[in-house]
Parts: sequence; structure tokens; C-alpha cells
Amino acid sequence: MTFAVGILLRFVAMVALLLVNGVVLIYMLRKVLGHLHLRIGPNRVGPFGLLQTTNDVIKLLTKEDLRPEAADAWLFNIAPFLVFVPSFMAYIPLVFGPDLAVTNLDTGILLVFAVLSLVPIGVMMAGWASNAKWSLIGGMRAAGQQIAYEIPLLLSVLGPVMMAGSMDPAKIVAAQAGTWFGFIPRWFVIPQIVAFVVYVIAAQAETQQTPFDMSEAESELITGFANEYGGMRFGFLYLAEFSNMFIVAAIGTMLFFGGWQLPWITTPGWAAPFVFMFKTYVGIFTMMWARGSLPRFRVDQMLAFCWKRLIPISLVWVVVWATIQRLTLPGVVR
Amino acid sequence: MSDGLTAPPRIAPEGSQHQDVLPAGLKRVPHGVDELATEHLVLNMGPQHPSTHGVLHVLLELDGEEVIAAEASLGYLHRGIEKLAESRRYHQVATLLDRADYLSGLHTETAFALAVEQLAGIEVPRRASWLRSLAMELNRYASHLIWLGTFGMDAGAMAPFLYIMRDRELILDILEAWCGSRMMFNYVRPGGVFADIPGGLDAKIRSWLAVADSYLDDNDALLGGNEIFVARMKGTGVIDAATALAFGMTGACLRASGVDYDLRRDVPYCAYPELDFEVPLATAGDNLARYQVRIGEMRQCLRLIHQLLDGMPEGEHTAKMPKAFRPPVGESYAAVESPRGELGIHLVSDGGPTPYRMRLRSPAYFNLSIVDEALAGGLVADAIVTLGSLDIVLGEIDR
Amino acid sequence: MPAHQPADVLGLAGIACEAADEPLGAVVRMDADRILDALAALQTVGYDFLVDLFGTDTGERIELTYHVRAFATHDDVYLKVLVDYDGEAPSVWRVHPAALYPEREAAELLGMSFPGHPNPKRLLTTEGLPPMLRKSELIREAGEVQLPYE
Repeated sequence: MTFAVGILLRFVAMVALLLVNGVVLIYMLRKVLGHLHLRIGPNRVGPFGLLQTTNDVIKLLTKEDLRPEAADAWLFNIAPFLVFVPSFMAYIPLVFGPDLAVTNLDTGILLVFAVLSLVPIGVMMAGWASNAKWSLIGGMRAAGQQIAYEIPLLLSVLGPVMMAGSMDPAKIVAAQAGTWFGFIPRWFVIPQIVAFVVYVIAAQAETQQTPFDMSEAESELITGFANEYGGMRFGFLYLAEFSNMFIVAAIGTMLFFGGWQLPWITTPGWAAPFVFMFKTYVGIFTMMWARGSLPRFRVDQMLAFCWKRLIPISLVWVVVWATIQRLTLPGVVR
Repeated sequence: MSDGLTAPPRIAPEGSQHQDVLPAGLKRVPHGVDELATEHLVLNMGPQHPSTHGVLHVLLELDGEEVIAAEASLGYLHRGIEKLAESRRYHQVATLLDRADYLSGLHTETAFALAVEQLAGIEVPRRASWLRSLAMELNRYASHLIWLGTFGMDAGAMAPFLYIMRDRELILDILEAWCGSRMMFNYVRPGGVFADIPGGLDAKIRSWLAVADSYLDDNDALLGGNEIFVARMKGTGVIDAATALAFGMTGACLRASGVDYDLRRDVPYCAYPELDFEVPLATAGDNLARYQVRIGEMRQCLRLIHQLLDGMPEGEHTAKMPKAFRPPVGESYAAVESPRGELGIHLVSDGGPTPYRMRLRSPAYFNLSIVDEALAGGLVADAIVTLGSLDIVLGEIDR
Repeated sequence: MPAHQPADVLGLAGIACEAADEPLGAVVRMDADRILDALAALQTVGYDFLVDLFGTDTGERIELTYHVRAFATHDDVYLKVLVDYDGEAPSVWRVHPAALYPEREAAELLGMSFPGHPNPKRLLTTEGLPPMLRKSELIREAGEVQLPYE
């Protein structure tokens, strides 16, 4: 009984985190973009506009869910779920504290990236099933972009995995405890700076943020693959996008910045989730910052950059780091 | 081609975009390879589209992402301004012309006023000419700001659009205090201008000038200093000088292709014979060149506004015009350098109180006619950016 | 450039025309069927830029004006031809591609045609509208254009 109750509690916690995250992130995006653009963002609904997203959710829930007549009904209806459910599943391996995780998976990192690679299928499905030319272009671009950028994303993650010796996020975070030479925290970002840079770029591309938002290029394709979606189907697609942002930022925190640990102090158990969320939100803020400032790449430039620059760099780095780790630095890896 | 899409035959000279080289080294797969039947997609860009700068409808025939042919379909904003002008008195026509090129209404009004004055032999007081030039330069700066913001949005950068709005609000406040309206000025009339500059406006313009340079530097850094932007603009939408001349392009588009022609310097009017300014020129003819030419023009605008404020002569703001104005029989043509190019008014008078025929030679109309030629061969993203770099205003294209 | 010089060029090409120096500028009037050769001849002497192409309803016929300019010398020449209602004038797009749009507009707004044009579709108005720029299409009554002090 307690086992089942435990699973139910974990499930509810995941859903709650997903929804609260979505709400907070949408508000944060609008405020951050607003201030970057010399305006204020929402400030009418509730104090400082805090209730804006709840209003938007209510609006989306009560809107008429239209479907174009010529759209493929099955695929059209299923596509948002194919985009949303994987990013929901990706919450499973996240480690919020020393004993605070949904479950302990030996292959947690692998699970996250495995389910995230289902997202481009959903995006393509949405673009194709809409039976509209602009959506089709958006979907095809997503196919090219997201599938291509998964590779450097995975390769860049191999560095920290090698340093920690495991794909279990809890072990990777534990491997970053302590300091080198007494004052530098053992965060993997410092020796793995190349992998980190590749990870940041690939993460920005995987979550379709500007400068890599070709598949939903607003000024070209209006909303790209999601053109024909409205109401809660649209809500799912965008909730999935924000949730993906959280996932990649959370993975980045765990792999490169020590997860729930504070730099020089032993983190008390109650503070760990707050530290983790704070670091993740700093990462998300940086992604939004880049989104609000930069223009967009052209499709062929973006793909050329991925295939001809990022992938070779990350491959070379994996080989280089493996060599370094095998030959030297026994004290780095515990 | 399918769907009745006809592109005009290729008449581009050597070195233009119609070679078998796609951007970024992509190779066109010949038909029959892989035995895949690939059809061309005919796509409607517009008339409702975030990036067509008005109600412009462009039919694109695509092969994947590559544009095979493009055709612009106009007329969504056609209001019959030329026909309406035939039943308006000469001082009422300005209300129509404001709405033609709504981003630079003062230029259109001035062109008409110059045409009427040329026809009727009216001498405009010197102060009126200087007031017209000052108003036109402010309007030019505001129009170029809009171009800058929308150009950034076409490339995906949302921030510059809001930044230019901040600057443009200052200019529109000035113009509202001066001409009475933010957009439909109805200020320049045949014979002079409607009213003189009010008292505190000189100080207001100078306080704006004090920050305008740094704002322009900010905007230029946001876009022109951004490597992603430059990578997208360099080498895309190339229009060489011969093609530009053949299609009747004028203005910044022509100067970015290497043809040095600016009406303010070559066929001067109003206060421009007495002013000192440079005309930016580029030779590449790509989107980046058009961007740089317009940024240069904005800097020259600021320089001109300084000179106009410092050297404003005393005098009347308008010549004495009869209430029932009937110019003599004849024709005249007067052109000004609007932000988009040579904006000309060809006026035919039969001695009556209304124009017999008023033809608006709109620069964006001819700039747009290059679309069928310049968009083919590039990618969809380039098509959008090239349209943005032409700086079109549908109001004057469709009239 | 005074009007007789373009007229000389056209005369050398065997095209009959009348030149005059009007207040508008150098105006050359000629027949519609030779307009393509005329523009080609002028292009050889440097008039390489078509500034504008439009039509006016004179009440009896349509007068087309071709405004060309020599960039090097800033000289303008206005070629005027007269065409009957629903008549024809050859399309000049091969010499000046800038004429592509204005010819379509003149054809639909004045009711004539330009044989040789590659894309003779309507440009600005929708199907079913009469040629709006003709004087016979009234949009205001004669008495409407009155001001209180007249």
C-alpha cells in the first residue's frame, strides 16, 4: 500500500511541479522579455501581473478547440501529447536534494535524452497533420534542427558523465562535492568548459529558442508548426516548450554546476531544493536573455553550424577528455 | 509552372542570382535522382503576414526551402487616391497624399506642393522652404527608424523594434506639437506651410538631438554589430546596379548597389542647395549594404537637422495664395527624395479648381517590382529579409 | 537637354515625332506603334532609366506618358503617345523592365492593352471594376466639388 501511495505522491508532485513551473516560467518570460525590450510586461492582472498566466490558462481551457477540416484528425490530436508527454517523463531523473528525487535511476541522463528525442517526432507530426503549407515548413525545419542538435547535446554530456563515472544524476551531483585546492568548488563546469559551451548552444537549439527558433520563426511562419493549433492543444505545445527549457537547464545544473549543492558550505537538506531551483532558474534566465536579444539564424546556417562545427568540437572534446582522464588526474575522479 | 504563376523571363545580367549555386554550398538534387517525386510548393505569403510590411501578397513557388519563383500580388490597399485627387481642391489634396506613403507623409505633400508651385509659378518664401526641409528630415528619420525596427523583426530580433519605438515617440511628439498630428500631417500646402514653428519647439528638437546619436548607436550595435545578423544579411538579396536601374529603383536601394544618385544633392529643392551633407554609398547591393546605407542616411539626417535649426531664416511661412486657386493650364513634375527613393508628382491641370490628373510616382512601387527577380534563387528566410530591406510601404504602392 | 536632341535621335532611327520645350520639360509626341524602337534608340544615347509610365484620359483618347531620364546628365524626356480607348501600345518591358508594373496598372485603370507583356493580369483593382481612371467613371457629382465661398 505504501508503495502505491508513494508512487501516487511522486506522480502528483511531478504534475504539480510541471504546472507550477509552466505558470512561473511563462510569467518570467514575459517579464524578462518586457524589460529587455524597454517595456514592462504584464502588470495589470494581480499585483505586478502575477495572475496573468492563470488567466491565460483559464482562457486556453475555455477556448473552442478548432481543428482544420482537412487536417489529419488522429495525428493532429495526438501530436501535442507526443510533444508534451516526453517532457513530462523527463522530470523523473531530476535530483532536487540528497534524498529528494522521484526515483533513483542508474541511467537517468540517458532517459532524459531518450525521451527528449521523441519531441521532434511530435513537432513534425503537428506540422504535417495540420495540412497547411506554413505549418509544414515549420515542422520540417524542426525535424532538421532538433534532430541535428541532439547529437552535440548528448556528446557534450559525456564529459561530466566520464568524470563522475556514472549516468545516475545523484552520483554525478555527489561527485561534485568538495573543492579543489581548497577554494575552487569541484563543479564540472571548470574542467569541462568546452563541453559546457557546446551544451548551452545545443540546449538553446533543442528548446527552439532564438537564435535557433527556425521552426516557429515568428516573423516568417507566424507560429510555425503550431499554426493551426488553438486552445488547450496549443497550451500543451507551449507548456511542453517551457518544460523542456526547465529540463535542459536542470540537467545543466546537475551536470555542470553541482546540482543542489552550495559552493563551499555543506548544504542542509531543507535548502537543497531551493538551491537547485535557483541555479536552474538562473540558467533559464540566461536562455531568455539570449532569446530577447539576438536575431535568428537561417536554417542552412544553423544546420551547417551544427554539423560542421559543434559536432566535431564535441567529438574531439570527448576523445581528448577521455585521454586526459585515463592517463592523468587520478585525484579528479573519485 | 503550376497554378498559373508566371515569372517574367530572366533578364538579369551576368553575376546575378540566377546561377545554379544555392546558398551555403547546398546542391540542387537533379530530378530523377533517388527516384523521389518532389513537387514544388506554391505558398501564399500574405496578405496577412507579420513580415510583409503592409497588406502585400507574394506568391512563392518553393522547392523545399528554396524559392524558385516569386510574384507579388498587389491592390489590397488600393483606395483610388489618384482618382480621388481629381475631385479635390488643391489645398485638399494633401489630406489624400498623407495617406499614400503614411510613414513619410510630409515628403509626399512637399512633392505635390512643389509641383503646384512649378505649374503656377508661385514663389515660396525662404523660411517656408527651410521649415519644409526640417519637417522632412524629421519625418525621414522617423521612417528609417520604423524600417530599422521591422528589419530587425524580420531577422528575428524583437528588441530593436521596441527600442526604435522609444526614439520615434520623441520625434512624433515634436511633430505633433508642430504640425498638429502624429502621422497625417496635412502641413505642407502649395505656397508654403500651414503654420510656423511654435515657441518652445526649437529647444525640444535640440533636446532630442542630444540623445538621438547615442540611441542610433545603440540600435546599430544591436543589429549591425551582431554577427548572426551580419551573417544573414551579407551576400543575400544581391541586386546589382544594372538590374536596379533597369527596374526603376531609386533611393537607398539604388545607392546600395553602387549608383550614386540622391535628389537632394543632384536636383536640389527646398533648403537643400544651402545645406552640407554626404550621401552614403555602397557597392555590394546585398541586404547588408542597404542596411548600412540607411544607417548612414540616418546619421546625415541628424547632421542636416542641426544645420536647419541653426540656420533657419526669418520670414513668412507661406506665400499669399488665393482662396479659389486655379493654376494655369499645363503639366508639371516635381520630385523629392523620400525615405524610399524618388517620390514624384506629375500634375496635369486644365485651369480648373481641381487637378485634371495627378500621378504619384511612388518609389516603393518600382522598388517592389524587383521582387519577381530578386527573390528567386534564395531561401524563404532570405526572401523575407530582402523584402524588409527594400523598405516598402503599401500605401504608396497601391495608392 | 532641349527637346530637339532626343527628337534628332528618333529622327535618325526613322521615327516620326514632334518635339517641344514645354514648361514641363522636353516633350516628344509620337505614334504609339513605334514606342519600343524609340525607347531603345534613346537608351543607346544614355536615357537608361524609366522614371514613370502612366496614362491620362484626355476625354477623347488615352495619352500615355513615358518619362525617361539620362542618369549621367540628369536629363529628362517625356515621350507622349495617344492611344484609342481599348486600344493597344506595344509593351516596352524588354527595354525597361521597370515598365512591367505600370503597364499592368495603366491597362486596368484606363482600359487598354499592352501586347507583348509577359504577365498582363490586373494589378491594383479586383475583377469586375471598370477602368476607374477614365473621365467617364464619375465618383463625385459635378456640384459636389463646391466650396462655401464660391
